[in-house]
Amino acid sequence: MTTFYGLPNSGAFWHWPTLIHFLVVALAGGTALLVAVLAFRRDLAARRYALVALILVVLDLLLLWAESSARFRLTHIWLFLGFHPGSAMWWGAWGLTGSAAASALIALGWGPRRFWATLLLMTATITLLYPGLLLAANNARPLWTPLLLAFVPVTSLVIVLGGVLLLRWAWVKPWFLAASLSSVFLGGLYLVGLAVGGFEARQALVHFWEHAGWLFLVGLGLMLSAVALLRRFPALAGLAAFAGAALARTLIVEVGQFQPFGL
Amino acid sequence: MARYAMAIDLAACVGCAACAVACKLENEVPSGEHQLWIRMREEGIFPDLAVLYRPEQCMHCDRPPCVPVCPTGASYRSEDGLVLVDPEKCIACGACVAACPYDARFFHPDGYVGKCTFCRHRIQGGRLPACVETCPTLCRTFGDLDDPDSDVSIALREAERIDILRADRGTKPKLYYLNTPPAFGPHLEEVAS
Repeated sequence: MTTFYGLPNSGAFWHWPTLIHFLVVALAGGTALLVAVLAFRRDLAARRYALVALILVVLDLLLLWAESSARFRLTHIWLFLGFHPGSAMWWGAWGLTGSAAASALIALGWGPRRFWATLLLMTATITLLYPGLLLAANNARPLWTPLLLAFVPVTSLVIVLGGVLLLRWAWVKPWFLAASLSSVFLGGLYLVGLAVGGFEARQALVHFWEHAGWLFLVGLGLMLSAVALLRRFPALAGLAAFAGAALARTLIVEVGQFQPFGL
Repeated sequence: MARYAMAIDLAACVGCAACAVACKLENEVPSGEHQLWIRMREEGIFPDLAVLYRPEQCMHCDRPPCVPVCPTGASYRSEDGLVLVDPEKCIACGACVAACPYDARFFHPDGYVGKCTFCRHRIQGGRLPACVETCPTLCRTFGDLDDPDSDVSIALREAERIDILRADRGTKPKLYYLNTPPAFGPHLEEVAS
């Protein structure tokens, strides 16, 4: 039996604002990526949706600032006054800021659109990749496995493309299909990877199953049902995939903060 | 430059928690948070029952995983090997809290991440960390690993058994546990086997 006088600081350290951030950053990064694609295709809608991307990125940056207990100390300026490429959050800060700037310039129609689209493609990719890197970099948390490097950005695309399906953009259907199926496959692989992993991974799987297991399966199921619904009910498919991807990601972030006491 | 480290002789620790109290007072640790805590483990069934008390805190790792993940450079490793947080640069994002395999960091209510500093303010003045000074069984030793005559170097040399926590993480902690009773191996390995 193990007990404590005082406790290690092992409780949840990221709370609901961070969980919302993980959702908004997917929307922001994914929308920015779509805008870059639209700009490359010389689609007139690029300017309009660049404004949407800008709003989402600014909303996410505000959320990040608001959730920090250091928000009134202005220390966030240090994110941009140093060079810390080993930190996923540093990349995220630059990815979001770069996406905001490039989206604003595309929305305004100033300067070389193709150049801004290239910049937006790069910064949006960073924005999509960084949350997965942020989680996977912590080998202290057995539920945040390296597989999240793929699972998080792919589910980000599902979230955005699910929303886009409500706009009846038929050309995104193949991408939506690929992202949804990949997400379900990676989600299943995530569970299998934990099950066949070492002792700590199996211990973490038991914890995950107790706290989120069936809900995670519901999330994967929703994404799978979206694939079946896509042909006849694309809007419904979009909603189901959006909900499923958001649910699965949120559970991994929330429950993944667990660290076994077995020191 | 010194390379500070600490050793705790678990055969001598009686789990009185004087170190935890001293740490709390010396560093004004907020209510509900801990820079130092005691893990108590019971093994066996009476009459073959053993209890182990193990104080835990920041390990001031030589390869601290909490430092590279910091997006502002607020988490850093000082020249004397201490892992510290600069509150003026910290944005309390929690990246370091997530990265620490020892759960040794916490959010300070003043908007930065707090942790054990080995009482740097004291050692800079030539004094020992509060937990070392207050220990009634003298189970804690502290000093410069590069100085063969320091208390910690002598204690490490004379120990029959030396353990570090989560060696598999490759963090190279500088908090050493000496003379762990034979009944208590690394907990994780025991359970796994």
